[in-house]
Amino acid sequence: MPQPPIYLDHAATTPVRPEVLEAMLPYYSAKFGNASSAHRWGREARAATDAARERIAACLGAQPDEICLTSGGTEADNLAVLGGWRVQQGRGRAGIVSTPIEHKAVLESVHQTAREGGDERLLAIDATGVVNLDSARQHIRGDVALVSVMWVNNETGVIQPIAELAALAKEAGAIFHTDAVQAFGKLEVDVRTLRCDFLSVSGHKFGAPKSIGAVYVRRGTPLAPLFFGGSQDRGRRPGTENTPMAVALATAMELALAERDAEVARLRALRDRLQSLLTERIPELVVHGRGASRVPHILHVSVPDADSESLLMALDLAGVAASSGSACQSGSVTPSHVLSAMGLPPALGASAVRMSVGKLTNDEQIDRVAALFPEAVKAARAMAGRF
Amino acid sequence: MNAMPRVLVAMSGGVDSSVAAALLVRQGYDVVGVTMKLFEDGAELPDRPCCSLDATSDARRVAEQLGIPHYVLNMIDHFGRDVIADFVAEYARGRTPIPCVRCNTFTKFSDLVAKADGIDAPYVATGHYARAVAGELHRGADDNKDQTYFLWGINRDVVKRMLLPVGEMTKAETRAVARELQLPRVADKAESQEICFVPDGDYVQILRRELGDTAPALSPGRIVTTAGDVVGEHEGFARYTIGQRRGLPGGSADPMYVVALRPETREVVVGPRAALLGTHLSASGVNWLVDTAPRAGDEVQVRIRHRAPLAPAVVDAVADGAVSVTLRSPVSAITPGQSAVFYDGTRVLGGGFIH
Repeated sequence: MPQPPIYLDHAATTPVRPEVLEAMLPYYSAKFGNASSAHRWGREARAATDAARERIAACLGAQPDEICLTSGGTEADNLAVLGGWRVQQGRGRAGIVSTPIEHKAVLESVHQTAREGGDERLLAIDATGVVNLDSARQHIRGDVALVSVMWVNNETGVIQPIAELAALAKEAGAIFHTDAVQAFGKLEVDVRTLRCDFLSVSGHKFGAPKSIGAVYVRRGTPLAPLFFGGSQDRGRRPGTENTPMAVALATAMELALAERDAEVARLRALRDRLQSLLTERIPELVVHGRGASRVPHILHVSVPDADSESLLMALDLAGVAASSGSACQSGSVTPSHVLSAMGLPPALGASAVRMSVGKLTNDEQIDRVAALFPEAVKAARAMAGRF
Repeated sequence: MNAMPRVLVAMSGGVDSSVAAALLVRQGYDVVGVTMKLFEDGAELPDRPCCSLDATSDARRVAEQLGIPHYVLNMIDHFGRDVIADFVAEYARGRTPIPCVRCNTFTKFSDLVAKADGIDAPYVATGHYARAVAGELHRGADDNKDQTYFLWGINRDVVKRMLLPVGEMTKAETRAVARELQLPRVADKAESQEICFVPDGDYVQILRRELGDTAPALSPGRIVTTAGDVVGEHEGFARYTIGQRRGLPGGSADPMYVVALRPETREVVVGPRAALLGTHLSASGVNWLVDTAPRAGDEVQVRIRHRAPLAPAVVDAVADGAVSVTLRSPVSAITPGQSAVFYDGTRVLGGGFIH
């Protein structure tokens, strides 16, 4: 490969920022104490963890005691959906409302509540990938314990009508959770203006390491823990607190917020240019979510007569890294559940490729990708034929 | 930039394909490894020979160690249609299929070749014990391991694109290379003897799933002698194959063997060992791998089963896609659905499905 490869999968994960790494390292060496210990090492770690929690809270417009640190977005989603629903079920409400386009971390948790007796209702999605509000008004009723709808869909990048959905949930007396994993750092995420009860974030989407996230828990919202053990984090999430990672998350969130407006403009320009170059060269390209509001960094397309797997392989061999939507589960060959929910014909669903720009992306790379893409499409289409 | 041509290697995670990939890397080829995902159920079963996450991760680790790209290719639809559906249909017709033949014909050396075209790879490679020499297929050097019996159906034009690195080696040599190269996990892996999509060798389970329990092939019927005497009952003729002794009623003076299956009447026909011998066979769906197909009167060698000795024969007739031969000495258990593969020394002339 003559030129360095191009990373177009920032929605899957991002590199750890140097400032973040620098901020967390002391907590692996000199300041290694357990934040729950009574002695000086413990106090030092306790101070750092508490400070991190305050900073994370400030980034969300929340109070420090409303921040529950987790091992990432998946745990945050599980805690919110299962932890929130189980308490409400105990109080007589069994309904759970969500959407078929959620990340599996939410969807599987929702299915689990159904196995525990929950009355699962999934809202309708329109063709552009947006939750249908009429469907929401119909399903979010007084028997609903919890409503969980993602802020931004991780495959299409489409922004959901979260404010309206939160209002409907609150009117019905239900808990509202939103998976904000793809939203934080791109949209304004502030729990003072959004009436949510739970909100999930994941560090590795914005320059923190993998395996750190948080769930925001509004004061007064009961939560049944998933883990049993010590009393850390007010008993919500037992286990020795991950001080270095908490510091990492806080640092990454602050940096993401500080540069958000400038980055959003830069990413939008890069993404839009890529989109326009590709649609010019491949007129039959289908761009998902085009008719809706999207976050600035995601471009999700389908190439007729080419399947995702072959296209990704051809792109990778040409030095371009993209994804088919969800990086989870190696060996999984099922087509996108998100695109199926949008009513897309299976053939298009099986030919979807998600490209996402970020920190590592620049204009020169966009030009190179636009140049390589038609060849990759040609290759992928060749692979579909029988010899 | 790699000056050597690109080759797509099918890596199952087993020692043969792992060593094949390693040898090609050593020879300087631009190697791209792929693992084919052929059916869905593999993930739940640990230590399966093929298709499971374990086998895929073994292939991935070998690829990583060799420094080559590795992809998992979803070929479930094609494999289901070309291999599994045919497997089931053959049993339903009272025949004994060899799915590996169809896999090589349609999946490995057809669909995979299309993938190779897509990535500009002039060559495809596997860990088969066979040799491709000057556009012709030859038996592998290790006669014990020769796998050309399963390769007769591939398109002739593919042979010149095949690289078969372990074809010159014995199995023992392959394992030695794996150890020498310190390929993770594979050197001492158990061999995969079973059909990849049949868990624990229980193919009847697949038939039940696809045909339903009340299908004729799985329904009770009579066991009869060649003379027509009823000697017992069976639980479905698909459970039997020609030459089988297991599952038959005992008590007769001579041991009894399955000599025929009659799907129309659901009968399993038994007879003494002598009744298994045949000197004549016809094959259909014949595929020739040489420029000049044999003609009537030509001497050939035939294999009617994997690892059976090469049986000398004379060609009686060759028609479009069909051939019939007379064997010089009687051969036991010529089985409809199995393959008849024709050789001229080490050269694989071609083959067909036994009628």
